[in-house]
Amino acid sequence: MRLLADEGGTLALTTVVLLPLVLVTLVGVLELGAVRVVAERARLAADLATVTAVNDQDDAYLARRGRLRLAPEAEDVARGSFAANLEPLAGWLASSPSAVAASADVAVFRDGGERDPRTGRRYREPTVRLTAELPVLTPAFALLLARPVTEVRILSTSSAR
Amino acid sequence: MIVVLLPLLFAVLQFGDAFHRWLAQDAATAHAARYAAELGGDAPEVRALLAESLRDAGIDPERARVEVVPARVGWREPIRVSVRTDHTIAIPFALTTVIPLRSSAVARGELAR
Repeated sequence: MRLLADEGGTLALTTVVLLPLVLVTLVGVLELGAVRVVAERARLAADLATVTAVNDQDDAYLARRGRLRLAPEAEDVARGSFAANLEPLAGWLASSPSAVAASADVAVFRDGGERDPRTGRRYREPTVRLTAELPVLTPAFALLLARPVTEVRILSTSSAR
Repeated sequence: MIVVLLPLLFAVLQFGDAFHRWLAQDAATAHAARYAAELGGDAPEVRALLAESLRDAGIDPERARVEVVPARVGWREPIRVSVRTDHTIAIPFALTTVIPLRSSAVARGELAR
């Protein structure tokens, strides 16, 4: 009986000592998972934005020259589409979707053969590249690491074919 | 100890599964929105693509609520595809609940009518 009582006490002590560690790990894992989900959803939004903008071709130029060239408003189209597709994530972000879209670095390479100064890549076809810093709210990280907002960088590039 | 560790383990697994399904549903919704934009609106092909993508992700398409608004779009008009499914979280000794997984994507009509 004495032995059982001792083991019970040890088990209770182990539980009490380990429980905070396990709880912190669990909360951290769930928060990290949530940040990954938001980042992936934002990447989908960026992909949709660049594809939509790249489809916005200069029709008059295409009719005249028979070649693809991005419309002058391609950048606005990319930002508008990005903001619209970020809207479901509004509750997860520290800034509004329109503010995130407005501050995104959108580069429009209207003709092929241009070099992107940011990525160093040369695009053979007309291309839209979007880079954005996403301020994701992380309330659990705020408690654990004093980090209420985690910045996630996303990059998306689409070329016309 | 088991009463504490088992719920924690299940919480990680269940929420991981929910996150995975949510991402897959988002990707399926974005593809469906692009396809709807290409076809100029809601069409059986869009619904079929969405159902196939959801099924591949382990989501029963019969239980998904799908909206394509507006049903018909012209050149450069916005079209939104929304999908909602319910996912059950069951954690032993803790809780069993249903959480809604909502996805939506906006594309622009690519069909000149």
